Amino acid sequence: MFNYIIKRFFQSLITLMVVITIVFALLRLMPEEGYFGEGYEKLDEQQREAILTQMGLRDPLHKQLLDFYKQLLRGDLGKSIIYRPKVDISIILNDKIPYSLRFGLSAMALSLLIGLPLGILMALNHRGFWDKLGTAYIVFINAVPAAIYYLFIQVYVTGIFKIPMLYSESNPLSWILPTISMSLGSTASYAMWMRRYMLDEMNKDYVKLAKAKGLSGPRIMLSHVLRNAFVPMVQYLPSAILYTIAGSIYIESLYSIPGMGGLLVTAIQRQDNTLVQALVLIYSSIGIFGLFLGDILMALLDPRIKLSKKAGAR
Amino acid sequence: MLQILEITFRGEAMEKFILSARDLVIKFRLRGKVLTAIRGVSLDIYEGESLAIVGESGSGKSVFTKSFMGLLDKNGWIDSGSIIYGGMDLAKFKEERDWLKIRGKEIAMVFQEPMTALNPLKTIGKQVKEAVELHQGLRGKEAKEEVIKILDDVGIRDPERRYNQYPHEFSGGMRQRVVIAIAIACRPKILICDEPTTALDVTIQAQILNLLKDLKEKYKLTTIYITHDLGVVANVADRVAVMYAGDIIEIGKTEEIFYNGQHPYTWALLSSLPQLGKKGEPLYTIQGTPPNLFQEIKGDAFAPRNPKALEIDFIHSPPYFQVSPTHKAKTWLLDPRAPHVEPPEAIKKMRKRWKEI
Ligand SMILES: Nc1ncnc2c1ncn2[C@@H]1O[C@H](COP(=O)(O)OP(=O)(O)OP(=O)(O)O)[C@@H](O)[C@H]1O
Ligand SMILES: [Mg+2]
Repeated sequence: MFNYIIKRFFQSLITLMVVITIVFALLRLMPEEGYFGEGYEKLDEQQREAILTQMGLRDPLHKQLLDFYKQLLRGDLGKSIIYRPKVDISIILNDKIPYSLRFGLSAMALSLLIGLPLGILMALNHRGFWDKLGTAYIVFINAVPAAIYYLFIQVYVTGIFKIPMLYSESNPLSWILPTISMSLGSTASYAMWMRRYMLDEMNKDYVKLAKAKGLSGPRIMLSHVLRNAFVPMVQYLPSAILYTIAGSIYIESLYSIPGMGGLLVTAIQRQDNTLVQALVLIYSSIGIFGLFLGDILMALLDPRIKLSKKAGAR
Repeated sequence: MLQILEITFRGEAMEKFILSARDLVIKFRLRGKVLTAIRGVSLDIYEGESLAIVGESGSGKSVFTKSFMGLLDKNGWIDSGSIIYGGMDLAKFKEERDWLKIRGKEIAMVFQEPMTALNPLKTIGKQVKEAVELHQGLRGKEAKEEVIKILDDVGIRDPERRYNQYPHEFSGGMRQRVVIAIAIACRPKILICDEPTTALDVTIQAQILNLLKDLKEKYKLTTIYITHDLGVVANVADRVAVMYAGDIIEIGKTEEIFYNGQHPYTWALLSSLPQLGKKGEPLYTIQGTPPNLFQEIKGDAFAPRNPKALEIDFIHSPPYFQVSPTHKAKTWLLDPRAPHVEPPEAIKKMRKRWKEI
């Protein structure tokens, strides 16, 4: 088990390094204006060169990459250039993360609380009313572009219940709709996965044996099917959860929530190269970490993974 | 010789029926059409006996026995007839709750596929323990001790260590032992083994059969073996029921079926046994295909595949004709008015030996 974790850890590390290198390379392809704050127009060619050289951007590429790694190792994400000139990116993030975390966590809790039981209900009621209703919901969420129902909720529901259209720190009522909107998609995914894995398990031979030995239906569901269905679920849950916490890019800008998602949109629009670089890195590390966590959890729950190395059967 | 005497002797001691199926009809709905898988089967099972049910694939062996435990697939149902067990008519059971009184506790089953029959994420100890707790009412340490004893009984060495292992750490033969342990742990009165050795290799097959024979004695079980393999039958069964197209067309003591089989289908089955063929000659195979169960079957279901079928075989279905008090067959050949039909060579040889006994 320990070996497995170490192995997966190094795999994740390598993946992360590949991502960092790619992000680094992509940013060298961006227009260089992104490295100048206000007044890019007023500078002449020489002044521009001087600034770029000072920032190290005229060094040979391999040295730049090395410097970049060194800087990251120190935990330094660099300074913002345009969005808030000369401010450490980590300070900017410090302001933003609490908002994303607050909305992300509540949305996550909501979608787990509704999505998982919905999936279970759908599997137990296979081809019945609840299954059809749930499927209709999942199809709707996946087929209709999210922007449409997000907007619909924002415009009409706020109107009906007389809730403010935009986020305001002082009015908790205004926090409800963004949270619900954010949870709609993941609720559908959780329900869909849960239903699928439960049905997969319910059709397996060991369920027939459990039935033949006289276990009651509910007992088979609880102690065999449900538990086994969670194993494949568990692999996806961490990344799904982490992404929810990382903030919904679209919803944060829609409701003007001052979180990370909104920040990414602004940074891209305003071509703040270092900020984009830092955010992309954060989002990819979250993804890689989620996959890592999922694999570890899966290995904890599935004995076949731990022992894959040893000669098992005899 | 000695063995046969012993069987006869035991046969006299077993008079009580433990389970009786009467005129059982089982149907399935498939893509809007209805097929009749079991066509009016009657069978009495003696307490303590070991009965084999043989027949080609699709003849209804599994469906028939699954109906004793309410394990028919969702699209199937008992259309008519009765299954009397312990004063109850199981065919009348409607709810799952009723079946919980039967499954495991009264009748347990060992399935064909040991590789997938166990939950891959639970230790085998826990899986056996579930049955022990449910049917023997033991808890905690006592339950665990009982599980270890049963694992030992089914020939799993080092059961304390094996208790905490997962199915993937067991080979096919060992998993089948675990499945058998689960069945035994239920303390059933009847044990149904649905092709328990088909998926295993030959040396393991013999071990498992011997184990089942031992357990039958030890736990005083009534056993039903389902198999295509007549070799298995000779090895384990007191009586044999031959099934064809959803009906039992011949039933008798094992030696009566082997040496004095009467139905042309029984002959065909026996002739296809490798042991009975002549060296160097191709093995006998039964021509044609079983009848379509979606249509009503007229006359003797085997007639279309029987080159020597009588005219009446296509018109009226034969009743049982008694061959001996313990042996009966559904074939018009046994009617006093029937013309003489020569059985195949292999069967004639067997009959000669039968006369000698
Ligand atoms: N769920 C089902 N739906 C439709 N038909 C079924 C179903 N289960 C069984 N049958 C049919 O019932 C008949 C008997 O099947 P059964 O499984 O009892 O055969 P079997 O004698 O056990 O064969 P095998 O030796 O291959 O296991 C077959 O024709 C089969 O197609
Ligand atoms: Mg079968």
